[in-house]
Amino acid sequence: MRKMAEYVPEIGNSDEYDCKRYIDKIIKTNREIFIMSSLLEKPMCGYDIIKEIFLKCNVFLSQGTVYPVLYSLEEEGILYAEYSKGDMRSKKYSLTLKGKEIAQKNIDEFIKSINHLTFLIQR
Amino acid sequence: MQESAVLGLGKLMEAEIIPGSVILVTGAEGTLKSTLVFGLISDILGNSGEHGLYVTLEQSKESHLKNMDGLGIKKRDELHIFDYRDMRREWMDQEPDLLEATKDVIEYYQEKYGNLAVFALDSLNALYTISDKADPRKSMYDFFSYLREEELISFLIQEMPNFRRNPLSFDLDRPERFLADGTIELGLMEGRSGVKRYIQILKMRAAKHAMEKHQLIADECGLKILGQIY
Repeated sequence: MRKMAEYVPEIGNSDEYDCKRYIDKIIKTNREIFIMSSLLEKPMCGYDIIKEIFLKCNVFLSQGTVYPVLYSLEEEGILYAEYSKGDMRSKKYSLTLKGKEIAQKNIDEFIKSINHLTFLIQR
Repeated sequence: MQESAVLGLGKLMEAEIIPGSVILVTGAEGTLKSTLVFGLISDILGNSGEHGLYVTLEQSKESHLKNMDGLGIKKRDELHIFDYRDMRREWMDQEPDLLEATKDVIEYYQEKYGNLAVFALDSLNALYTISDKADPRKSMYDFFSYLREEELISFLIQEMPNFRRNPLSFDLDRPERFLADGTIELGLMEGRSGVKRYIQILKMRAAKHAMEKHQLIADECGLKILGQIY
């Protein structure tokens, strides 16, 4: 297995670098949204989710911030977990039917909020 | 079901454990460390509406629940059990910093419930075994400080070897013994009438407590602390 540090995406330019602290904060504060968004694409284990967010956003969500969210969402019936056939090492999480609706609704609201804030701040 | 998960604690302590205290619960295997901590958390939470977090590195959540159920200790809805099994399996080749991960887990539950009052870690031995910290003393000092700053009542479970069987196996220089605000020791004593479990408070800052060993028994109704055993 490759180490997470080996996946580090290149930081394109200094503007992107300046943005990183805000992106970091937004993603960490709203990690449930980003986790659910990743799971809308396909079932994943905690490791895959962390890797996916890291590759897409260059933000490393620590294990201690991701796994409790997965367990809580599972308890709330938003996710269900199962071990993959032949791989008892990783527990793959999927969104339930209810979870898909909640995820979509939360993602829409999140995007609207970000757009609204962008509009307000640019006036 | 008895009214308290640990009946007779008043025989050992006059006052309650104050928030911000870090208590070591030590003992050999089979001395009911996890059960005692579950019971204490259950009693501390009572009907306060506050929440507790039990982090386990050894047994699974399901196995803990089964044991507690067998001993008549009901898991309160406000007590959350977090087990590291999935995380450790998936990150086998790059073991995460478990002290930092534990802080993140605590922060998550604090944020989610707003009133996390009690924390337990089962066990320090497993943490030391897994962790590749270069300086465990410094890390442990920082971790204890963090728990105090968060005003949590914290129970850290530590398995001790049986002295009689292996007197050289115990490292007296372990930092947590000096750092802790309290130490509760659990053990086994052999007598003419057989083997008895005991509980002894070796240290408890800011609380009057007995120093004697008291008998500890477990049945289907929970734990009971009886009289002195010597």
